[in-house]
Order: sequence, then structure tokens, then C-alpha cells
Amino acid sequence: MRIEYESQRVSQRFFMLMLALFLLQVIFGLILAAQRVDPLLLVGVLNFNVARAEHLNLGILWIVCGFIGAIFFISPLLAERELAAGWLAKLLFWAIIIMVVWNFLTLRLAQTGTAGWWEGQPWLQQGLEYLEAGRAAGILALIGFGIFAYIVLRTFPRIRDWNEIHWGLGIGVTALAVMWVFGLFFVARLDLQEYFRWFVVHYWVEGVWEVIHISIIGFLLVLLFGASIRSVGYAVFWGVTLVWLSGLLGNAHHYFWIGTPAFWQFWGSLFSALEPVPLVFCFWHIYLDAHHDNRPLVNAPAFYFILGSVVLEQVGAGILGFSMTFALTNVWSHGTWITPSHGHVALFGTFGMLSLGAAYWAVPLMRNVRNFDQRLGRLGFWLLFIGILGITTSFALGGTVEVFVYRVLGQSWFGGEVYPAMTVYRILVPVFGIIFTIGAGIVAFDLITLGARVRTRGPSSLHVRPEPVVAHAPVPMGAAGGVGDHRSPVTTPAAGNGAASSRPTSTHAARGWSRPLSGFEAGVWLLGMWICGGIITLGLLSFNLQPVRAGDPHVPYILAGVGYPALVIVTLLFVWRFLASLEARVARPVAAE
Amino acid sequence: MNDSESRLRRRALAILGGMMVVFIVLSGLSFIGSRGQITPDQVTFGRYRAVEGKRDFQAYNCMGCHTIVGNGAYLGPDLTDIYGRVGPAWLAAFLPSPGTWPTAVAVSAQLQDSTIAAASKATTLNAYYAAYPDAREHIERRGGQRSYMPNLPFRSGEVGELLAFLKYTSEMNTEGWPPVPEASPRTTSSSAAAPSPPGPSAAADSAPADPAARGARLVKQVGCVACHSSTAQRLVGPGWGGLYGSEVTLTTGATVKGDSAYIDESIRDPNAKVVAGFSPGIMPSYGTVLTAEQRAEIVAYIRSLGKK
Repeated sequence: MRIEYESQRVSQRFFMLMLALFLLQVIFGLILAAQRVDPLLLVGVLNFNVARAEHLNLGILWIVCGFIGAIFFISPLLAERELAAGWLAKLLFWAIIIMVVWNFLTLRLAQTGTAGWWEGQPWLQQGLEYLEAGRAAGILALIGFGIFAYIVLRTFPRIRDWNEIHWGLGIGVTALAVMWVFGLFFVARLDLQEYFRWFVVHYWVEGVWEVIHISIIGFLLVLLFGASIRSVGYAVFWGVTLVWLSGLLGNAHHYFWIGTPAFWQFWGSLFSALEPVPLVFCFWHIYLDAHHDNRPLVNAPAFYFILGSVVLEQVGAGILGFSMTFALTNVWSHGTWITPSHGHVALFGTFGMLSLGAAYWAVPLMRNVRNFDQRLGRLGFWLLFIGILGITTSFALGGTVEVFVYRVLGQSWFGGEVYPAMTVYRILVPVFGIIFTIGAGIVAFDLITLGARVRTRGPSSLHVRPEPVVAHAPVPMGAAGGVGDHRSPVTTPAAGNGAASSRPTSTHAARGWSRPLSGFEAGVWLLGMWICGGIITLGLLSFNLQPVRAGDPHVPYILAGVGYPALVIVTLLFVWRFLASLEARVARPVAAE
Repeated sequence: MNDSESRLRRRALAILGGMMVVFIVLSGLSFIGSRGQITPDQVTFGRYRAVEGKRDFQAYNCMGCHTIVGNGAYLGPDLTDIYGRVGPAWLAAFLPSPGTWPTAVAVSAQLQDSTIAAASKATTLNAYYAAYPDAREHIERRGGQRSYMPNLPFRSGEVGELLAFLKYTSEMNTEGWPPVPEASPRTTSSSAAAPSPPGPSAAADSAPADPAARGARLVKQVGCVACHSSTAQRLVGPGWGGLYGSEVTLTTGATVKGDSAYIDESIRDPNAKVVAGFSPGIMPSYGTVLTAEQRAEIVAYIRSLGKK
């Protein structure tokens, strides 16, 4: 396979930039984890708040870079023409680099209390979580989002020819810029400032990014499995609509304790409890789309990361978000490690994994690499997957201890009881952080050098077993008019050669752990994950019990000690099972075509 | 797309529109004046305004380590009601040199300030302890020890502004968050029967004969070393090494000889002669919490320090 439109190539530079920023973010994450173990580490050189601001900003920026790369890659396919204003896309790339460097340098000024006040606005950095960038960088970013939206909308066909994926991406790229504006004002009232800060953060993540996420995943499923545009379009429309129906008022879960009225507790608890509904719906659709005609995996790492994205969204945003979304549980979890536990897996899991999956899909095509060694990608996926789940569990268990010692007992922080009580978990975070970092390094190395390595090595050194016999003529994607026709050309089965052999008559692999995954079984796994989520939620709820409040931590500790690790184990087994059944398809008869 | 599907879709979008209206109405109700939520323009601390403190809070990215109304970074404690728990004198003693936990003497020195005393509703340390048990716990358990917070280069007035901001946040109605502990009382309030003596005088009994040695002990007890190093190195304030007998350049451009009279005056009235490169208003007066004899011992100690 190869790319169909020359201008798709512009996305490659965004994917490469994404990987560089990703690695940098992970390094800052490791520094932060080390500083949690020893808060005096690098004091005065790189204070924790600066390192954290870099960590958060880089995290947003690399994911946005991944979105830009993915959307530039699929926009010509959706529009069936070259990207409009390709020179603007190149300009955007350099503008992003300037903005990233500028922001990276100015965030350091927090150490000297320099915000760059001018005309009442902080121009250099503004010290608000997630929105640390100063006004100069913020306005530059707004211009960048504007350029991005302009290019995408100009590329798309006339509005009456739009299908649901066009709508999803069109609204997504526009809202990306619009929501950003709400973070560009200094607000003196703390409650009002937090109101608008969550306006940006929540509606970006749960409104805009989510819409982009659903649309990109939908289209990637069309490309990977030849799912029909009609079925994916249906899923995209209802996925997006359900996300907004639950997430619009679900934002109220950020307005429980910031000084806004108590009525938000009702609206937030009610509607954000519904937020998992679209996630279950989308999960179900990825299952259906991946199983609609049992085609083998062409590009295993791409699908690994896409599945990882949807599953971790279920775990992080769905289950862990659900557990802390009720006023009665949030009153305990708020402002503790329970929050980053949810945040890490939800943000990296959902959006980071999607960006990496899109890169794994697009990069080999742009480099015209037909057979690449997919083992590194698989290995990188598993390390990242295990790493992020480990980080999440460490935060969650440490957070449970924190809630009890800090909130229930009201003990003292540093030098007191809270900090020492969390020691084990403070150490576990960087332990899993190292696993995650290795995975990030492998994925970045693999994607950056993909193609370069294959050319230097013969195919036989990559695959012990013989190459597939079925010819794989390069077929343009989406060639035969209309996006709806993607099914057949896209997934010529033999275009990929996973770890297993592709001898078409073999059937041995489709048994046991690798047997086909039925819808019923997938539902049971999902139910298992939600049962763990129920235990976790009960654990947080149990802090309200009288014996716990009087000083007996057994109930919440046992529920958390069972719930979180069980959730991780069920998730790992499920993803393993899902992928094993798909990998086995390579060995099943192609007659299914 | 068939008719029923498109009807369903239109209906879903209509519901979405209705929810948007609900959200806008609720948002409007959240910030109307009649709710009685406190706003920063109503709060001052002395001559400092809470709005300015909010700017400082952002400029130093305080929520990059702490949380405020529960949002932030979880490395340090939540700051929403810290003003109400430890009080303005403890915060005023802590913030200029947050790398070290404030001592009883340092907090006493802050209580000499009329604004802080009035805001604390206490002029003596015992009265302050009664009003702010958390301050007592902090001082008795950790006073003079190194903290995990880095020293920050606060400029003149910024500490006061931050106090105004933290006063504002402590008065906010956050709907019952954070939950009030019902469990066992703090470990220290039961163990410490009587408050420890506020001043460093108790230590004088077994003091060494040499005034410089007594001074060396005193500066640790008082907590002077949180800001002043025994070398020429700058911490929060000027280093002491080689100070005695040297020519000191002041912010006015004038120079003054670093003799006993100058050092004694700087302890009693730190803002009279501020060293070039430093801000006034950071150090409180130690004129009443330290006796003339104790100040002389500190001067003797500083005199003993060579230029390192």
C-alpha cells in the first residue's frame, strides 16, 4: 500500500515532532516522579512546579501534534483531493516549533515569580494548571488552531456532501480553536477562574478531543478493516452526540467544591455518571467493526494502539472517572492522588494511544514500507500499556492512603504523617514510569527509523517463516470513488505479515486463547471491568461510613486493594485475549474474504 | 438514512440544545452577587489587596505544587483554608523563607506587626496558639527544620498580597469541602500539655560562656539561619560571612560600615538600611523579641564569622 495524495506526506513531520515531544514529556514525568520521592531533588534548578508545567504542556502539545498529523493524513482521503494550502501546513509546523520552544523557556519563569504582566494579562506564563502557557504563547496557539481549522475545512468537500466523519472532524477542529479562547483571560475571582479553566480543559478533552478521537478511530477502522462508512458514520454520530449529551452538563463534576453553588453537585453527579455510556457504545462498535468480516491484521501495531486507546478510555475515563464523579465520592477523591490516577490513564490512554496508533498507520504508508518488523511496535505497546496501568494503580492506591490519612484523620502533610504514609506508592510510580519510558523509547525509535532499518536488512532476517504468497499489489486507498468504497482495496490481507505465518490454509492458531472472540465474551470481559469499577466506587463511597470516619480504614483499603489491581489484571487479560484472537486471523483461511 | 433515524437524530440534537440552556442558566446563577460568595475585591490584608495576591499566586505557579480548592499538583498541601488553620503570623513567618519551617520566635516577631496582630486577633504566642492550633503543631514538631519547599525570591509586598489572597480563599464557601475530620485528634495537641516558651530565653541556663558561641546557638533557635547563611552566600537575606567590618552598599547607593551598631539596628529595624539587591519589608523587627544582650550575642557571632 502507499499513499494516494502527495499532500498527505505533510503529516509525517507532525508525527515526528509528536514523538520528540512525547519523549521529552516522559522524561519530565520521570523527573517529577523522582521529585515526589525526594522533594529536594533539583530544588532551585528545576522546581517541581516548573517540571510539572512542562510535563502537562508537552503532554497537550504532542497529542495535538498527533491529531494534526492524523487529520492531515486522512483529510485528503475524506475529501478525495489534495490538502488545501499545503504551504500553510508547513508554516504551521514551524509555528508550532517556535511556540513549543518559547513556551518551554517561559514556563521556567515561575521560579522567579515572573508572569510578564502587561495590560493586566500574564504574557509569559500564567501558573494555571494545564493552561500554564502565557498569553503570548496562548495567542500563538490560537492562531495555530485557526490555521489548522482553515486547512481542514478548505480541504473538505462542500458541506452538503459531508458524512458524519466530516462533521465530527469539522466541528472538532473548529471547536479546538473556539474553546481555547476561554483560557485567554485573567480572572480575579478564584471560583470564576476555575469555572473557565475547566471550561477549556473539560470541553477540550471531553467535548472536542473526544469528537476528534471518535472520528479518527472511526475512519481508521474503515481503513484497517474495511468497515462500511455507513456503520462507522452511525457510530460516530451517536458516539459524539452521547458524549455531548452526557459531557455538556457532566462538566459540573468540576464545579462541586470550587466555590460554585451546591446545585452543581446534583447535575454533575447525574450527568457525568452517564459519561461512560458513549464509551461503552464506542467500545462496542470497535468490536463490531473489527469483527465484521474477520479480516486479518494488516498493521498490528496500529490496531494495538487503537484498541489500547478505546480500552484505556473505558478504564480511565469510563471506570475511574465514574468512580470519582459522584459528589459523595468526589468529596474524598478531590485534590488527592486519586485524580492523577484517573488523569494519566484517561489522557495518555485515550488520546496518546490514538495518536501513536495513527502514526503507526500513516508512517509506513508515507515511507512506502510494505513489510516492517512489527515486533518492536508490539513490544512498545505492551510496555506502554503495562507502564501506564502501573502508574495509575500506584497513584490510586497511594491516593486511597492519602484520603484516609489526610482527609479522614486530618493529619499533617510534609514532616507529618501524610507524606511518609505514601512512601511505597511514591516509589512505585517511578518504577512503572521506567517501564513506560522504555516503551516510549522503543516506539519512538521504531517509528522514526521505520523503513530505514527494513531497507538495510533482508526480509528473511525479519521473518523466519516465508513471506506470504498472496500478492499484494499496491492499492490506492479510497481509490474507487466515494469513501464508502474503502472496504475492498484497503485491506488486502497479505499486505501485512505479523509475527505469525500467513499460510492461508493453517487453522491451528484459532483455538484456546486465540479462538475467535465472540460478542458475548467481549461483553463478559467488559462486565468484569465494570464490576472492578463498582468495587472501586464502593471503596471511595465507604469513606462516608461512620467506622471509617472514626479511624478504621479496613473497608476502603480492602475495596481499593482488590478493585484497582483486579481492574488492571482484567484489562490486561482482555486486551491480550482480544489481540491474540485477531493475530490468529492471519492463519485462518482467506476464503472468508 | 431512513426517516425514523433522522427524526431520532434531530430529537437528540434538540435535547442537547435544551441542556445547553440549562448549563447557561446554572452558570449565571453561580456568579450572581446575591449568592453571597466572597470575591477578592472585598478582601484586603492591611494595605494589600487579594486581587494582587491572586496575580502573585499565578506568577509563582503555586498550584504547580499545591492544590487550591482541590485543583493543582498534590505535591504540597491544599492551600484553600491554610490561612484559617495556621493564621497570618505563621504564614508571614514562613513565606519569605519557605525552605525552613518557622520557629516560635519568628512567629512572635511577626506578631509585633500591628496589621498581623490585628488580623490574628492575638498579640502573644499563647493567644495565637489558642486561635490556630495547627500553627502550634507545625512549630512544635518542625520549627527550624528544613522544609520541602524551595525558597522563592519574593519581592517587597508580595508576601502581604499572598496573605490577602489566602485570606480570601479561606473565607470562600466551598460547600463543605474539604471534609472536616471526625477521627482521633491530632497527635501533638494531646501530647503537649503546656505551650513551649515563646522566646529563646529558656536555653540561656546552660549557655556557654563565650558570647559568640551563645550567639551561634541563638541564631538556630530563633531561626535566623532560615534566611541568613554563615558564609557570604545569599539565601533569602544577605549572608553573614565577612559582613563584620566590611563596607555595605545600601539600596540608596550609600555605604555603611558593617559594625555592631549597624547589625544591631538591622535586627531591630531591618528596613532602616536595606542592602543593595534586597527588598525592604521582607524581614520583621526582632527588636522586642530579642533582648539587647541576645542581640549583642548575635553580633558577636557574626563578628566571629570570617569571609568564606
